[in-house]
Amino acid sequence: MKLINHDNILKKIKDKNISLININKKEAMKLYFFMLRLRLCEESLSEEYHPADQMRCPVHFCTGQEAVPGSLNILLENKDYLYSHHRSHGYYLAKNAPMPKLFAEIYGKETGANSGIAGSQDISYPKNNFFSGAILAGAVSISLGSAITLQMNKNNKQIVVAGFGEAAADEGIFWESINYAGLKKLPIIFICENNNYSVFSPQSKRLGGDGISERAKAFGVKSKAIFGNDVCLVHAELKKAILNARRNKGPFLLEAFTYRYNGHVGPLSDDLVGYRSKKEISFWKKNCPISLLEKALLKKNYLNKTDIKKIKIKINNEIKDSFDFAKKSNFPVLNSWEEMNFSNKSTVADKILKDLEQSKFDEDQKIVQAKGY
Amino acid sequence: MTINKSITYAEAINQGMHQAMQLSKNVMVMGQLIDYSSGVFGTTVGLVDKFGQKRVRDFPVAESLMTSAGIGAAVAGKRVILVHIRIDFMMYSLDAIVNWLSLWRFKSNKESNVPLVIRAIVGRGWGQGPQHSKSLHSWFGHLPGIKVAIPATAFDAKGLLLESVFGEDPSIIIEHRSLFGLKDKVPPEPYRVRYGKALVRKEGKDVTLVAIGCLVVDALKAAKILETQGISVEVVDPRTLTPLDKETINKSILKTKRLVVADPGWQSFGAASEIITLVAEKNMHIMKANPIRITFPDSHTPMSKNLEESYYFNEEKIVSKILEVIKP
Repeated sequence: MKLINHDNILKKIKDKNISLININKKEAMKLYFFMLRLRLCEESLSEEYHPADQMRCPVHFCTGQEAVPGSLNILLENKDYLYSHHRSHGYYLAKNAPMPKLFAEIYGKETGANSGIAGSQDISYPKNNFFSGAILAGAVSISLGSAITLQMNKNNKQIVVAGFGEAAADEGIFWESINYAGLKKLPIIFICENNNYSVFSPQSKRLGGDGISERAKAFGVKSKAIFGNDVCLVHAELKKAILNARRNKGPFLLEAFTYRYNGHVGPLSDDLVGYRSKKEISFWKKNCPISLLEKALLKKNYLNKTDIKKIKIKINNEIKDSFDFAKKSNFPVLNSWEEMNFSNKSTVADKILKDLEQSKFDEDQKIVQAKGY
Repeated sequence: MTINKSITYAEAINQGMHQAMQLSKNVMVMGQLIDYSSGVFGTTVGLVDKFGQKRVRDFPVAESLMTSAGIGAAVAGKRVILVHIRIDFMMYSLDAIVNWLSLWRFKSNKESNVPLVIRAIVGRGWGQGPQHSKSLHSWFGHLPGIKVAIPATAFDAKGLLLESVFGEDPSIIIEHRSLFGLKDKVPPEPYRVRYGKALVRKEGKDVTLVAIGCLVVDALKAAKILETQGISVEVVDPRTLTPLDKETINKSILKTKRLVVADPGWQSFGAASEIITLVAEKNMHIMKANPIRITFPDSHTPMSKNLEESYYFNEEKIVSKILEVIKP
């Protein structure tokens, strides 16, 4: 198939097997652990969400979309910047932000990553340079600015990664960002997790021309579209791109075609709306990024059934601890709206600027706006 | 002892820009046409020669991206000055301002600051028309999380710029282009003008005239005329709308017991209404007359000269409005 898109993935790909290319055992096992951890984390959050109704915020689960966050987790360094969309949990964990603080944030507790102020779709972990937000391309365009800063720093080896869904590319500012990244050869990687749906609306209803990765080339940004549930492929492509960006060889856009299993928001299915076919859902579930990798690892004898059990026990313990932590924590207490919204600190200004007296303004001047620029 | 030289508003901004960039290598500027000899009405002249094109970036005509990029650059450690040569074009970046910049620190629970200054330039006269003349200070004053300054003089323009650049909160400085040629005594060294500190530009006892931005000059002219008629006007310049110095305004009201607000924006839901409210809520019972707003009409700005003249107003209208308040 010449161009990859959701339609021809369904038509052309049958039973997919993946091979462990450009990845060693340790990395592959780390990928597997991370993705399984993310999957179980999302599944237990979904299970707990409604019965208790204690997570009182919109949550966009990323079940099925583990490959990109998994790859980023093993490729990014703490000093790198990662900006993500509202389906943020995978990216949050990819930046090694702690799971208990994620749970506490969703529960709206003071021990949350942002003391319960942000919630799932706006969560950040500034200490590890992780940020997210819900207004799609907005986060991408902000990430571009961080890349400007990094490029200006001498001997820079830091990079920025912007993760977004394909609907972000419906917004104009997205292409302004791609253009500037191409123009200035910024150290930034754009990762499109193309799950085909903007809520219910498929990309075919929203896209003219050949797709996001093809368009990017026209702006001077190298790109590639891949089957995004092959985590080894995602990892290999990102590894190359990140290395190049670290060497100041410019930006890259990776379009990883993938799929979300949950509804757009919340734990319940929204398939009653009838926007996607059973055949399509079953194809993507059969080609789940975790089971594809698991199959390859079992085949290579990197992993056996007992190992899997042990790994699951370890992860489930962490999840249990995270729930306990979140539930036992206190809610934040209102201190001052003013302090929540303004720093009002000017420590730098205090050091370098003086207060000076001013003399009387001479009002006997004619007010005329000068012409020109 | 340094001597304060008389320089124009535009020159004072230019001086502030140079000094900010000298004081910290983290300061950078982004804007359209900022590296050409005309230098955005003279305010960015000479910067690129001294600090280079990386720190002084002529940006594509992608106004929405420019504000977002400024946010991201600041998050990663820069102190950013954005120059939006016309505030009307800046409206492309409303998402960046409303959905990201204003609440960035808030949603990070105070952990991530965005020291970003937006210089938003407002045109007036010579047929600027409806797309080159809006002063949207009231809009931004309505938004939590962003400081809003509206300097009327060269002294304040420089001091508020430096204060904004070296503070931790994002800020929008509304600059009225009609003021760019007006001179004022400006200290040559770096200094600060603080947010939330109004200035009583002229003391008086009969009426408080709160004037905003470009109308401060007209207000002072009006006060001078009224002085000859035996009416003593106290002219208060808030200088910043967020935060707004409520104390100074209310203190003046205790003395004069009359209030007129001159606001260079549309009347409805504007800064003038806010100022009258904060006085009314506290001191209505002592007022000798109903407060009055002097604003532009609730209309877009026409191009044609005679209509434009009816749209804007000068000190004569302020004089006549104040006389209405003074006369029993």
